[in-house]
Amino acid sequence: MSTEIGVWIAALLTLAIYSFLYKDNPFYKVAENIFVGVSAGYWAVILWFNYAWPNLFEPLIMRGSVIYLIPIIVGLMMFAPLIPRVSWLIRIPLTFTMGVAMALVILQRIQGEIFPQLQATFLPLSGVSPMQLISNLLIIFGVLSTLVYFYFSKAHRGVLGVFAKLGIWFMMVAFGASFGYTVMARISLLIGRVYFLLHNWLQLI
Amino acid sequence: MKQTIPLIIVFTFGFFVIIAFFIPLRVFQDASQTFETWYTGVIAFFVFIGIFNIIKVNVNKIQRKLSDWQYSIILLFFLAFMMGAGFIGGPEGGVFDYLFEHMQIPLGATMFSLLAFFVASAAFRAFRARTPEATLLLIAAVIVMIGRVPIGYYIWKGFPNLVEWIMSVPNTAAKRGILFGADLGLISMALRVLLGIERSYMGGGRE
Amino acid sequence: MKFFDRLEKIDRRIIFFLVGLAVIIPLIIPLGLPVDITGPVQDVFDRVEELPEGSIVVVSCDYDPGSEAELSPATAAFLEHCFRKNLRVYMMGLWPAGPELGNLALESIAPTYGKVYGVDYINIGYRPGGPVMLVSLGRDFTDLVRADYAGVPIDSFPLGRAVKSARDIDLVMTLSAGDPGVLHWIIYFSARYGTEIATATTAIMAPQQYPYLSSGQLIGLLGGLKGAAEYETLVDKKARAVAGMDSQSIVHLLLVVFIVIGNIILLYQKRRK
Repeated sequence: MSTEIGVWIAALLTLAIYSFLYKDNPFYKVAENIFVGVSAGYWAVILWFNYAWPNLFEPLIMRGSVIYLIPIIVGLMMFAPLIPRVSWLIRIPLTFTMGVAMALVILQRIQGEIFPQLQATFLPLSGVSPMQLISNLLIIFGVLSTLVYFYFSKAHRGVLGVFAKLGIWFMMVAFGASFGYTVMARISLLIGRVYFLLHNWLQLI
Repeated sequence: MKQTIPLIIVFTFGFFVIIAFFIPLRVFQDASQTFETWYTGVIAFFVFIGIFNIIKVNVNKIQRKLSDWQYSIILLFFLAFMMGAGFIGGPEGGVFDYLFEHMQIPLGATMFSLLAFFVASAAFRAFRARTPEATLLLIAAVIVMIGRVPIGYYIWKGFPNLVEWIMSVPNTAAKRGILFGADLGLISMALRVLLGIERSYMGGGRE
Repeated sequence: MKFFDRLEKIDRRIIFFLVGLAVIIPLIIPLGLPVDITGPVQDVFDRVEELPEGSIVVVSCDYDPGSEAELSPATAAFLEHCFRKNLRVYMMGLWPAGPELGNLALESIAPTYGKVYGVDYINIGYRPGGPVMLVSLGRDFTDLVRADYAGVPIDSFPLGRAVKSARDIDLVMTLSAGDPGVLHWIIYFSARYGTEIATATTAIMAPQQYPYLSSGQLIGLLGGLKGAAEYETLVDKKARAVAGMDSQSIVHLLLVVFIVIGNIILLYQKRRK
């Protein structure tokens, strides 16, 4: 069994969280609130040392670059709702960030996603092995039928209906795969904690 | 003014960044870089306001003695302790690192690992083949669950390849279809924001 | 058939207990099941093998303690490979806690290869601003990166100024648990500047990466703890991920049994109606 205080703290906090599996209790609530507290404190410190000081305040205060006043003042406007008379000023940082972010959404979704993904869907149907041909056809029909399923401007009847149904099947396989992977992810996290308890704390393995 | 100035800002900065993308002149690239840097600076304050709100909500809870207010004292104590440790001792080494390694990591990791138990419970109670579509979903999930772990390979050497095929053919096709739909929706929403048609993100109020 | 009715109403804590046992027993008594290597993991390994000595690899730890169990083993295995190949590592993170988690791996692995901080590897810490920051970072690193994770000016390290823009980067490895993460590295960084992207994601995110693998926007993928176990096997440094694979297998089997029992109950209920 470990003799390190840090390992013991971590182990007891781990067990406090797991006590929730029996039922909600004060140990769990204490651990939960410690988590929120240390996480928020961590964010503030890291943001200051990794970004706010070297990229905003240091150039302004130590080197006198007044241009940095702009992002600082606009950023401080986030606190405007605290003064009701000027609360509308919060819209300035919101619209500024939305403007820049949405512009990049338009550019990059087209350049980085729609074009390359379209290109990857135009797959060869000749000069490939029979198995590859089936796979390529399935990808092409799968993409088209999934798109058809989300096309709501016309009733899903006739050929459109068949395609929409095909789209559902493709999506069901994809959702099933996602479920399988989700199970895998959750179990991995549990294994990680049990490994910590058995290896680092109890030193059984 | 309260409405017009923000709308001018979103339109001007948004379309400038778009236009600058197509004009490879230095001056446009430099201006774009400046705006993006400002953006990053402003975003930092979004985090600070988040932390400020956590403090405000919990102080309020304590003052009004709302239910479970005692836990808010613990939260605020650890928030102050972590910030004190970081700002006084620095982010590297010392108490700040110690708290991160021995409290934040195990708490965060354990909190999310709880879901493993609930996923198992859900698999037993809710994962049922009631319709042909649900059956298809269930079969795909079971194949992936078994084929993706070493026991699948142990049972049948072809399992990993079957899973890889499911992932790269039907899964890729459906995900790509969804992705196209999502992208078109996102781009049209972005255009609505830049043109000032979509304003809900600016918050309520008549002005 | 009261048995099925009672089974249907089983206390969920019994299910929790069985899951707990299925995790604990294989960790104490390992089965030693062989770990198979999948194509996307092999592709990441091969690409790192091809990189010449001294190449710069950005390792972006875009995760937090919630995904530590899945992504820290992948971080460690990947760093092991990078240092063994004498590549230079430039660590950062789009999530606040990521670079600190990555640092734990750096501090334990780098000294074993005699690597020096600031010369062979550096950690520039958390970079806020997500996708917009990535566009800006690719154009001009010097503008955004001014200090390392501990707040020391970046100019004081030889490696600090080795990356001026995306052109100086040979490979980006993003260890990604959500947004911002691998998607943003692909569409905001790689699409603009042409940098190759490899990724290790949580298992939940892995299925979403396949369209990018097939379009060539991603060169490879380590999906979840299994992906990390495969990489540990490839670099011949079996550790936490490989140790967890037996438990992973047994719990998956148990869940399949749960699903089958659940569906037998459904069949019984249908017949009774």
